[in-house]
Amino acid sequence: MAEAEGEGDVQVPISSSIPSGNDTVWFDVSSLLHRACHDLRTDELISGENFNLFAAMSALEIMDPKMDSGIVSTYYSVDEAIENGAAPIPLSFDRTSDIQHIIDIMDHFLACEATWHKGGSLAQTMFSCIYLLRPERTSSHALLHSFCIVIRATCNALVSAVSVSRTNEEEDLFTMAYGLPLKANGDEKCLSLLHAVEETLCRQLKACKAPLSKRTALEDIEPLQTNLDLEEGFCKAVLCRLRFRKHFYHVLTSLRKPQGKGLELAKKHIISCLSELDSMLKSEDFLRNNSVCGTSENEEEKTTASGCQPVGFDSTLNSRSAAPTPPRAIKLLSWNKAVNYFQKLLHDLDVISSYSLDPVFEGALRFVVDVQKIQPDLVARAHIQLLLVQDGKLYGREPLFAVICKASLLPEGAKNHDIQKNESVQQLGQLLITLFRVLCANTAWQRRKLGKILQDWRIIYVQLELAFRKEFGDAASTSVEQNSLLKICKHILIWVEEQTYWIALRFLTLGFELELYSTSEYCMVYWYIYVVLIKLAEKTHLKMMLSNDSSRRKSKKKKDFVKDIGKDYQVPPAVQLLQCYIYVAQGLMMMLASLRNENKIFLCMGPFNSEQERFVQHFELLQKACLPDHASYFSFSETVSNTRLSTLSMHNCFKDAQRIAKELRGSFANDPDRLAELRQIEQVAEHNYVALNLLCRMGNLEPSLKISFEFIHHPHFATAAVKRS
Amino acid sequence: MAVEFDESEIEYVSYGGEHHLPLIMNLVDQELSEPYSIFTYRYFVYLWPNLSFLAFHKGKCVGTVVCKMGDHRHTFRGYIAMLVVLNSYRGRGIATELVSRSIKVMMRSGCEEVTLEAEVTNKGALALYGRLGFIRAKRLFRYYLNGVDAFRLKLLFPRPEPNYSDSVRSTLDEGVEHGDELNTP
Repeated sequence: MAEAEGEGDVQVPISSSIPSGNDTVWFDVSSLLHRACHDLRTDELISGENFNLFAAMSALEIMDPKMDSGIVSTYYSVDEAIENGAAPIPLSFDRTSDIQHIIDIMDHFLACEATWHKGGSLAQTMFSCIYLLRPERTSSHALLHSFCIVIRATCNALVSAVSVSRTNEEEDLFTMAYGLPLKANGDEKCLSLLHAVEETLCRQLKACKAPLSKRTALEDIEPLQTNLDLEEGFCKAVLCRLRFRKHFYHVLTSLRKPQGKGLELAKKHIISCLSELDSMLKSEDFLRNNSVCGTSENEEEKTTASGCQPVGFDSTLNSRSAAPTPPRAIKLLSWNKAVNYFQKLLHDLDVISSYSLDPVFEGALRFVVDVQKIQPDLVARAHIQLLLVQDGKLYGREPLFAVICKASLLPEGAKNHDIQKNESVQQLGQLLITLFRVLCANTAWQRRKLGKILQDWRIIYVQLELAFRKEFGDAASTSVEQNSLLKICKHILIWVEEQTYWIALRFLTLGFELELYSTSEYCMVYWYIYVVLIKLAEKTHLKMMLSNDSSRRKSKKKKDFVKDIGKDYQVPPAVQLLQCYIYVAQGLMMMLASLRNENKIFLCMGPFNSEQERFVQHFELLQKACLPDHASYFSFSETVSNTRLSTLSMHNCFKDAQRIAKELRGSFANDPDRLAELRQIEQVAEHNYVALNLLCRMGNLEPSLKISFEFIHHPHFATAAVKRS
Repeated sequence: MAVEFDESEIEYVSYGGEHHLPLIMNLVDQELSEPYSIFTYRYFVYLWPNLSFLAFHKGKCVGTVVCKMGDHRHTFRGYIAMLVVLNSYRGRGIATELVSRSIKVMMRSGCEEVTLEAEVTNKGALALYGRLGFIRAKRLFRYYLNGVDAFRLKLLFPRPEPNYSDSVRSTLDEGVEHGDELNTP
């Protein structure tokens, strides 16, 4: 292409930074571009091959309020904002109003912080504060300065916690801090600065509360502000806000102590935080009644206790410098919602801090699953993960191979075996870490990831099998060595299978929590849960028998052999619990199948595909990993095609589940969570048994009966509700 | 407020050119939460005019569907980008008819599956797609700008040939969630 010559060409110096090469020559195409532009009308689009949907979606229409958060800001730079008096220091020469403004800033920060945690960008929330953007400016104002420093230190600590625990796309926005002054000189001294300011405030509060007679002695103390009638109220309002920051910062640093050593301390600071939040709520009336801004904002919108707009914040300031694309407009949470958010966060962190650091793998798994039930947000979830996995060890102290040995019910000595150096065994350890990470993610992402890692667990099983075989041939020379290696292999392989089915079960049950299944799909989902549970129970049982076997063999040598054989074998409670689930899942599957077969309800029908396609889509990841072998749409439809409401075994399912749940209470007497779970299962079984009997007696006769399945007793096992419509 | 009309009065037409574009844009702007730029509309209707339909009642545009199709990780898949029916015209099967027309074209064009996203709170849409055979394949955390989660809905067409395992494999290969889908930057 020749260089275009046109009228009015602007001579642009050609960049020499990338030199012309053998195949490339630089041309100035500005004039060509210029002419091409004349041919295009507004809104027209030249669609190149690489102009994909993402590119189309990335285009913003400037000045469209739904898209453009406002590139044209009030100020073009932070400096300009400061020059125009947007962030004065002091905030007012009237000291009372200065304090009021500062309290507003503190409150607005809380609203910003909660919005940030909930998915807003750092630049548009915390760093919309001009004071925070220019750390050196506040140094003359001890109160504001110390507060800004602790805010910055807190942001920094949280960004670090969430980045270290990287689990998924969620944290990308959270940790994005392009060029923001997240750290400034002297931030490490934030607590001592805060402490000094707090001391002064305490003395000021004490002075104003002292009876007049004693005041002379305290006269050298300058009050916080000039209106002495309001002194106590303002002192208290500032103090609780300051103390909240201090304790919250302590909570974060305690939680990060290695090996969970700071959990006790974190709990103490959490209690203090919650109490300071209460004091903040109590100060609301005082601040509102004495506010200077007159018109108080709508309760749902206001970001400060006083209802006044804070001084020194401008969310448009960072819009040009902070992100690769212009940020969309965001809405801040209200101050009250922010307080509620922090209360919830602190309760979640308290649950995490109360954890006993169970050295047994299953215990740790159950802990994460249980914490996820209270729906913790990103910050809390990041901290669960930081606690669980540190330096590639469980809680930073239990080497993964030792954890695996214990989980596989191997004897204590196995954890020192050389097999741990094997590459596949080490990969298994990595899979464990990944599993923990995934379990700490939001449940939507967690389920997708669990589906994908199933394949990895299948592969590692095969790899381990090969590796063990090779080790067996290579190393073991004596029969004692061979036996110990064989034992380790057997145990670990069974445990890997058990774990794989556990993941499959979690994948399936999370679908209920995420509302991925429609009622017409419940039948196939419960069928799949049923077949997976059977395998899980089988593997768990096998693992336990294997360990009993070896311990019994040892005892046999010493004790009477005959006695042992005569004893009735007891199925371990963990397996019985699974058996109980199996019955409930089977009962539900059969009940739904009968309703489909007899009443023609809950059928999967559509104009474009059949139930088989739905089955394939829902379970494709399980099918791909052959979990379990031979589970297919055909085995499902065969199982359910002939079920009738009168099928006796279905009634027995719910009865048996009830019975086992009752019997198991004794086995889990010391575990309140399990007892609650048993109670739930019992209720599901009981109600479904009643519903089933009702349906049997009148189901076909009464078309007015309406049947629905609800999750009122258990999050995964539905309860049938039969109502007259 | 629902409008009184007979279903036979609704006229369905395939996207017919530039004059239809403002009608589509107005409807979507009015009824959907996500803001779309003109480029997004053009991207769809210029590349796949045969997949976009409009519903008219006495000359007034009351509903529209905008779609695309193409290769996605070894699968030829259709994608429903926008489906809108004016509030006062809902509940009478207009949306079902619009989207069914697009799906039929996709099926004829060799698509193996159809996908879309819908807000988890949009019960009406979820029920509609459920009736058509879509499953809720995934939940997408805070997918929309308003912070609401989305469901990724999928409709798998039956495979004519018996080589079933191949189709399973191809649908499995999808890895990137937001590859070429309607996702906000």
